[in-house]
Amino acid sequence: MTESHDTRTRLGCALDGALERTLRRPQTPATLRARVSAARARPAETDLAAVRARLEGERRQQLEALEADYLRVRRSTLGTLIGVAFAAGAAAAIAMPWLRAHLGDYTPAALTWGGAALGLGMVFFHPARALLRRWADLG
Amino acid sequence: MQAAVSEAAERDRGIVELLRTGGEERAFEELLRRYEGKVYRLCCALLRDRSQAEDAAQESLLRVWKALGRYDGRASLSSWIYAITRNRCLSALERRRTLESLDGLGEEAEPAAPGGGEPYDGRAEQLLALVERLPERLRRSLVLYYYEEYSVSEVALMLGCPEGTVKTALFRARAALTEMLRRRGLDDPAYWREDAP
Repeated sequence: MTESHDTRTRLGCALDGALERTLRRPQTPATLRARVSAARARPAETDLAAVRARLEGERRQQLEALEADYLRVRRSTLGTLIGVAFAAGAAAAIAMPWLRAHLGDYTPAALTWGGAALGLGMVFFHPARALLRRWADLG
Repeated sequence: MQAAVSEAAERDRGIVELLRTGGEERAFEELLRRYEGKVYRLCCALLRDRSQAEDAAQESLLRVWKALGRYDGRASLSSWIYAITRNRCLSALERRRTLESLDGLGEEAEPAAPGGGEPYDGRAEQLLALVERLPERLRRSLVLYYYEEYSVSEVALMLGCPEGTVKTALFRARAALTEMLRRRGLDDPAYWREDAP
């Protein structure tokens, strides 16, 4: 018991000495001080928090501008639609007597088909024009 | 011991005073002189990679310098500096884990030996390998204890825990190392003596 305890104590002492020799204090790199000083001299490049805040601010502004543009487009589209609907209604009301005189009972159907053709034409005109321009560019 | 602590606290106060009275350059020099090595050693113990430790030490010292004007003195300057350093190292460890999981190579970087220089012989390599096998909490305390030349209070400050916790960790680390040596048949005290053949 005593011998075992003595061996453990001697092993503990030997281990302590071995750890002391093995876990030696690492030398601080000679370049560290120069690096810190250099980084301090150019705060704008190394201040990550400031860079992040600036980039986040820029991104927020871009998003706000994008959202404002989107709202403006939606408003103008809605305005255009309402205007066109009223204009079409007014035109139909004005043209109705003349159409009725010439087309008779076919007037409602003619107006419906005419409106549908006009609407579809407006929907497909812009993409078709873009497609034609692309073909022209490729050619 | 108490005198040394109060002297250190006095020097820390001197750094803050220098900064407040416009002596920026001297405060910066004093800060680096006093903490450059300690911050680097803490980074080495936490990150186990000399190159990453240097980067982390640089960023930590720079953060400390930039935030020094806002230091309110509630904690000691050294505790405050070590807390900033620990946070920086934890971020680096987190980033390293993320990169390793993204790489998906399953190859973990071989940790650098915590010894300060070349191993003195094969026994040192054996011992370092065993130290690396210790649980992280015990390994950090043990490594810093030898780096800081047996100062339990300094290790406790660096790791941000009570001195009793460090003492317990040191005791357990030594016990675990002794057990590992015994299992490997390396528990002959004569084998570990410096002058052993």
